[in-house]
Parts: sequence; C-alpha cells; structure tokens
Amino acid sequence: MMMQQQCVKRVGAAQEGESYFPLAGGHRLIFIMPDSWMHLCSLVLLLSCTHINAKTVGQTSSPAEPVGQLPADVRSVVLKGQSYTAHVEVSSPINLTLQCTWTGSGNKVDNVTGYWSKDGEDIDNSRSTLRLENQQFNLQRMFTIKDEESLGKYTCMFGNEAKIDFVLAVPQISDVRDKPIVSYVGDSVVMVCKMDDAKPSPKTWLWFKVNHTEKEEIDATAEPQRYEIKMDGKVTKLLVHNLTHLDSGLFHCGAVYAISTAMSHVELKVITIYEPLKPFVAIVVEVLVLVAVILMFERSLAKKRKAAGSSGNHVGDTEHATNAAAAATTTTTLQAEANGLEETTSTRQRKM
Amino acid sequence: MPLEAETSLGYIPPDGGWGWAVVFAAFISIGFAYAFPKSLTIYYKEIQEYFSVSYSQIAWVSSVMLASMYAGGPVSSILVNRYGSRPVVMVGGVMVGCAMVLASFGTTIFHLYLCVGVIGGCGLAFNLQPALTIIGTYFHMKRPMANGLAMTGSPVFLSALAPLNQFLFDSFGWRGSFLILGAIVSNCCVAGSLMRPVNKKVQPQPKTEPDESNDAEKMLVDNQAVESLDEGKTKGCVQKFIDVSLFKHRGFLIYIIGNVVMVFGFFAPVVFLAPYAKHEGIDEYSAAFLLSIFALVDMFARAATGFIGNMKWVRPRIQYLFSFAVSYNGVCHLLCPLASGYVGFVIYAVFFGMAFGMVCSLLFEVLMDLVGAHRFSSAVGLVTIIQCGPVLLGPPLSGALVDIFGDYKYMYYACGVFMLVPGIFFFIMHYYNYKKLDDEQRQRLAAEKRNCKEAGQFNMKQDETHG
Repeated sequence: MMMQQQCVKRVGAAQEGESYFPLAGGHRLIFIMPDSWMHLCSLVLLLSCTHINAKTVGQTSSPAEPVGQLPADVRSVVLKGQSYTAHVEVSSPINLTLQCTWTGSGNKVDNVTGYWSKDGEDIDNSRSTLRLENQQFNLQRMFTIKDEESLGKYTCMFGNEAKIDFVLAVPQISDVRDKPIVSYVGDSVVMVCKMDDAKPSPKTWLWFKVNHTEKEEIDATAEPQRYEIKMDGKVTKLLVHNLTHLDSGLFHCGAVYAISTAMSHVELKVITIYEPLKPFVAIVVEVLVLVAVILMFERSLAKKRKAAGSSGNHVGDTEHATNAAAAATTTTTLQAEANGLEETTSTRQRKM
Repeated sequence: MPLEAETSLGYIPPDGGWGWAVVFAAFISIGFAYAFPKSLTIYYKEIQEYFSVSYSQIAWVSSVMLASMYAGGPVSSILVNRYGSRPVVMVGGVMVGCAMVLASFGTTIFHLYLCVGVIGGCGLAFNLQPALTIIGTYFHMKRPMANGLAMTGSPVFLSALAPLNQFLFDSFGWRGSFLILGAIVSNCCVAGSLMRPVNKKVQPQPKTEPDESNDAEKMLVDNQAVESLDEGKTKGCVQKFIDVSLFKHRGFLIYIIGNVVMVFGFFAPVVFLAPYAKHEGIDEYSAAFLLSIFALVDMFARAATGFIGNMKWVRPRIQYLFSFAVSYNGVCHLLCPLASGYVGFVIYAVFFGMAFGMVCSLLFEVLMDLVGAHRFSSAVGLVTIIQCGPVLLGPPLSGALVDIFGDYKYMYYACGVFMLVPGIFFFIMHYYNYKKLDDEQRQRLAAEKRNCKEAGQFNMKQDETHG
C-alpha cells in the first residue's frame, strides 16, 4: 500500500462536453458543470491538497517493470449531469489514478454500485458499493498504463445513471491538411507533419505509404535517391524525388512515443504538366481573340471615318491642319497620346 | 483674332464616350498592378517548403516585386511620353505573363526573385503609369470620377484574386498556378488594346472674351497653364524623356514632400490589422474577416470619393479634400488603440476602409490637378521612384516598432502621426498655393486684357491706314 500525497495545483478549463489534459508532473482537477455552477464550483474546489490512499490495484496483466518505478499522476472529474468525456494524453508509461466524483441524481439514494470498464468491457473485481459522503459519491482506481493495449476508453459507472469516460491516447497531430498536395511528374515534393507546440516531442518519426490498402514503411536508406526523411523534434519532412503517377496516394506519418505511435496522413496527387496547360492555352487564346477583335474594330472605325472625311470638303481638312499646328505650338509638348494606330493624323500634330 | 490656348492640352478631352471604355481598361490594369503582388502570398508557404528557405527569404519576393514596380515608374513614364499608353501596357502585360510562366519552371528561389520579382514588377509598373496617364487625356471635367472608378480596381481584384488563387493552388499546386496566373495576367494586353490614343483633331473653340467662360473651368485650366507657359521655353534632351523641371513646380514639391512622409504610415496599418486583432484575442477567422470588411468599404469609398471630388463646389479646391482624407487617416490610426473587443475593431476597419479609399482615390487625381495631364506622366514616374524607399521601409520599420514595444498600439500611434502631420502640412501649403495661383491668374487676366486692347487699337490703326 502506498501513501501518496497529491496536491491539486491548477484548475482545468471548464468546458461543456469534453476537455483535453496532457499528462505531465502536475495534477489537474476537471470541472464539468452543465451551466453556471462552473464558476462557483471552481472556486470551491480550488487549490486544496488532498491526502489520498492509493491502493496498488493494477490491471489483470502483470506489469513488465515494478509498479513503483513508473511515474504517477491523477485525473479527477466531478460530474453533475449524466455523462462526461475527458481526453487524457499519455506519451510514456505511467501509473494513472482516475478519480470520479458524482453529486447524485437527486433521487436521494444512499447507495449506488460503482464499477469500472475498459472499452466497454467490465473490469473484474471493480464493483463496489458507494455511500454518499458530503453529498458526493467517490470512485477511484489506479491503472498501469504501460503499452498500447493499456490505452483506450476507461469508464467509471455509477449504477446505470451516470458515467465518466476517460479516453487515454497518445498526443494527436491536429494540424492535418485535408486537401491533397499537388505535384508534377519528374518533380520533387516535400510533405510535412507537425506535432503541436504544446504537446511533447516524439522520440522519432516514421513514414508509411499506402499501397493497395496496405501500409508499407518507407525506408529512406534503401532508396536514398527517391526518398529523404528529415526530422527535427516536432516537425518531420518527407522528400520524394522523381515523382511518377504511382506515387499518388496516401502517405502516413507516425509520431513515435514510448507508449504508442500517433498517426496522421498527407495525400499526394501527381499530375502531368498538361493539366494546367489546358486552361492556360484557353485563356491565352481568349486574350489573343479579344485583342484582335478590339484592334480590328478600331481599324474599321478609322477607315469609316477616313471615308466619310475624304468624301466631304478638303478645305475643312486643311483648315483643321493649320489650326491644329497653331494650337500645338502654343502648348508644351504632347507627343505622348498622339501615337498609336492613328499614325497618319497624329504625326502631323507631333511635329513641333 | 488670335487663338488662345484655353486648355494647356490643346484639345478638348471627350469626357465620356470611349473614355468609359478606357476607364474600364485602367480599372483592369490598376487592379492587376496593386492586387497581384498581394495575392501571391497564398503560395508562399508551399514554396517555402519546396525550396527549403526561411519565411523572410520568401517574403523577399514580394519586396523585390514592389521595389521593381516603383523603380520601374520613371522608365514607364519615359516610354509613355515617347510611345503612348497603349504599347507600354501591352508590353507590360506580355512581360508579366512571361515572367509568371518562366517562374513556374523555376528550380531555385533566385529564379523567383528574378522572374516574379524583377520582371513581374517591371511589367506591372508598365501597367500602372500608362493607365493613370491615359485617364488624364480622356477626361477633364469628370476626371475625379474617372480616377475614382479606375482606382476601385485594386480592392475588387484583390477580393477576386484571393479565392481564385486558393482554388488554383488546391487544383494545380504552385507551379501550375503560376502558369495559369501568367495567362490570367496577360489580360492586361486586352486592357492595353482598349487604350486607344485620344483623338486630338477636335478643335478648342475660340473664345472672344475671357470673362464669358466658365469660372470653374478657367480656374482649373489656368492653374496648370500659368506654370507651363513659364517653363515652355527651354527644352533640353532630357526634357523630351522626363520632365525634370517639375522639381521647380510649387505644387509638385508640396505633393512630393507630403507624400514621402505619408507613405511611411500608409501601408503598415493594413499589413498589421489582422495580427493586431489576433494579439488582442480575436480568433483567426474573425481577424481575416476584418480585412474583408476593410476591402469592401474601401471599394465603395473610392467610387464615392471620385463622385464627391467631381462636385461643382469641391472640384476647384480638391486639394483640401485630399488633405482632409490624409488627416482623417491619421486620426483613425491614433484612435485605433482605443478599440476594445471585436466590435471596436469592426468600427475601426470601417472607418479605416473609408479613409484608405478616399486617399487612394484622390492620390493621383490631385497630382493631375497640380501639374496638368500632359506632365502627369513624368510627375508620376518621379513620385514613384521617390516613394520607393518609404514604401519598402514602412512595414519593416513598423514591425520593428512592434517588436521593441511588444505592443501594436505604439505602431498605430506612430502611423497616425505620420499621416496627420502631412495632412496638416497639405492644408497649410495648399491654402498658400491656392492664394498664389489666384494672384497669378488675376495678373494674367489683367495682362491679357491689356494685350486685347492693344491688339484692338493696332487693328483700328491698320484699318485706318488701309481704308
């Protein structure tokens, strides 16, 4: 039997529904209230050191190392409603004590049967009769989380009325790109996987390629001309050179932690240069057509004007010319807008 | 009766007709010139990964592009003075198109600097100046309106290019997108083809008595005529290409001094609006939405300001409207740190959008008003090359301010001051300038009346001797 003195250090974020808490040295108290009791209860349960007798009742399977050598942590949840789900991030083996507190359903029942289940299956020897203490039912149990199988959903049940789920998992990669990365045949591509800054760094990273629903690990050392894996703490990059159509598909990156691997995926789409070339050619043709149409329209207008002008009086034209020249001499230079397609008429004005 | 040069242009601008097609063409050119560099930032993240470079190295592409655009201004002006707007815009469109196509095959980041940055920036400069210049040749009475409408191109294109670029990126990756963008931007050639050189055969109508003419038009016209007649005498080789005598022009000097200071605080608030909002606790999508509100208000403000600038009682004193717009910008920024919560930021975005739109709409109109349409081309070339420095230094300096103080509000105070001081400077200097111009105009009218009397007496004497 071990006596552990645990101090409740911080109040966790009180949100409706679910909350995420990384597992590190400290202890967190989670408040789940349906409505406005949030603030009141957070004040009440703040910063109290509780003395807890932790019974070393582990899981049915025997641990690989003595239980006392693993670090310990506590997760507590106070439930007022009917159910709640708490997400706990576990990156390395740990002895985790889960505490459930329920304020009762208001039926004024004195006793309730509390038990634990993992992933829907009841845990043996976990049933106990709980009595109302200070208007609360308390249930807690210590679990040894040492490998991937120990992770999962642990539920404490208060009879059939209330339950609290603890979802134990490795830190997940949240920054997932939902759209595929597009690249070209013969080109290279860089695919990036990034773990959030707030979460712990993985020990290493692995990359997998999905070939006909089979996940194959990519070995960069076997094909150094094609694949290159770079990793730097929380960021990993997979470089693929000399792309072909066969490289299209799903790539998985795995953040390897002591306890398990967190997976994320990146989709790659390889296309040929002809794909963007089609809209390119279409738009260039459109530009050429519009330019030609506009310039030809202008030329036909100019011809019509010339035809109309020459069939009228020539005297008017010469008068125009002399007056225009006179106007030009009294002003400063205006070569600018005079140029263009109307060469004949504008050259007269350009001379100073 | 000798002909008088009523307008220093030597012809009457159409003020309509094909002019509106030209406004549409300028709308396209200006839209691409301002919005294209900003919209490319969507691709930066992937290009950064692809070439394994840092964020600041990728941001250089934008800086090089902006620098080329401003440095290419004088070159553009020289070409417009020599060949007219149409060829320059078409060459510019082809340049940007080719630049983007070449960039799509790039193998190092330096390819991007060269293609997108230098060639692309130059091509966009060849679009911007001619578009502004040609409006001055087609419009006189309705010029503020035409300018305002053309400048609306910038926010409209930015709003259109942003989702389009996202779509292209998701479908084709950055290489294919650059290829297609090259085709899209070559639509500037279509805009260029619409920029038909204005028909100058239309005669200025002879006027017998100066007093009969419209007072407002006279004032507008003579502001430029007085200056041009003085400097029309000596023309060197350089003058044929770019009008350096502008530096003796009072109005131009006022404009450029105010502008250089103003530009320091002009763009930084836009760049830092979203980060400031995020810093104050607003989530990413709402912060991005602030920019959309800003762009939307900007769009309408530009058109509305063009319309206001055209009104009878505003047009003759349009410099005051511009001074007001600049000062209003400054006041907006000074009050920005008072904004609390999302509602405060939305209000700021709306007012800032209005202020920004007002200034942008009038920015080139007041220059045209000061120097006249025929010298505008050279003027805008000189202005852009002098603005090159502040435009490039503005945002990094503001960023440095933010880093030093760890808070955005000092940067906003600084930007507010950088806009308010030129605003007040403009008010004072233009009051003095208008007074001077009115004096000179009165002197000129008196001199013309004397000339008319003498000419009339001379004619009478001739008639007496002949008759």
